[in-house]
Amino acid sequence: MDMSQSNHPTEASDEAALLRRYAEGDPVAARLLAGQMTPRVFGHAMRVLGNHAEAEDVTQEAMMRLWRIAPDWREGDAKVSTWLYRVTANLCTDRLRKRGTTGLDEVAEPEDPQMSAEQNMQQTARVDALQKALNTLPDRQRQAVVLRHIDGLANPEIAAILEISVEAVESLTARGKRALKQALEGQRDALGLSDE
Amino acid sequence: MSDKNHNDDIELEALFANARAHPPVVPHEMMARVIADAKTMQPSGTGSRWRNWFAAFGGLPALGGLVTATCVGFWMGVAPPDILPDLAAAVMGVETTANPEYEGSVINGYGWDIGEG
Repeated sequence: MDMSQSNHPTEASDEAALLRRYAEGDPVAARLLAGQMTPRVFGHAMRVLGNHAEAEDVTQEAMMRLWRIAPDWREGDAKVSTWLYRVTANLCTDRLRKRGTTGLDEVAEPEDPQMSAEQNMQQTARVDALQKALNTLPDRQRQAVVLRHIDGLANPEIAAILEISVEAVESLTARGKRALKQALEGQRDALGLSDE
Repeated sequence: MSDKNHNDDIELEALFANARAHPPVVPHEMMARVIADAKTMQPSGTGSRWRNWFAAFGGLPALGGLVTATCVGFWMGVAPPDILPDLAAAVMGVETTANPEYEGSVINGYGWDIGEG
């Protein structure tokens, strides 16, 4: 996976241009922005919170803040998606603080009709196992790992989102990966990883 | 790096790749709510046309200059300096010419001629 892809300047300017079109009243831009940004926000919230209803609430609130700021958005400021990830991360942090525990649902994944029932079960088992392992991490580690290894962002962008240094991001993701390996210890065969 | 650690890394990366390949599906109802919010919050096209015009005009500095120029122009119309031609008369078709007698009477009115004897 190309981790630098999300930092491409064209993508940043496209996002800003789309937001400007939205602010100018273009109805197509509203749909395009919603279609581009909502899955990313929801995916991140779902991985960090591990709860469908809370992830939906956070996504709707984060997108609402994007619509609200659109008329005042200045091109040349932060990248739109970076700003939106930061809002989402903060909303998730607020939820996690209020919750106080890590009692989380499993992430329900859709079944792929192209795969056999056995493959579907294994794929679901892998996603669930990773989510359960993620849920055991401290909140900041989980956010950093999800941003880096699932959302595929580069460390400087994660640093901007979590408002910490790049070194702190590196430390969080390294510790997070170590903890994940420990949490997944002994599940290799059950997850079918030995076949690969 | 030990073989075990290396294998663990590969397996973890396989799980990450699986998660990336199968992101949580956005519920249709939630997407509909997000789009509805977007439409509710979207500024109207009329407002944006005004904003575009304003931006094309040069924004606040240009508008400030225009207001200043308008005020100066208005004041010059009300109380034009002596060095300016009588624009109103020229526009209205009234010709003003120098009238020594009239000017003399004005001077008389001030009593300057009396003062000088």
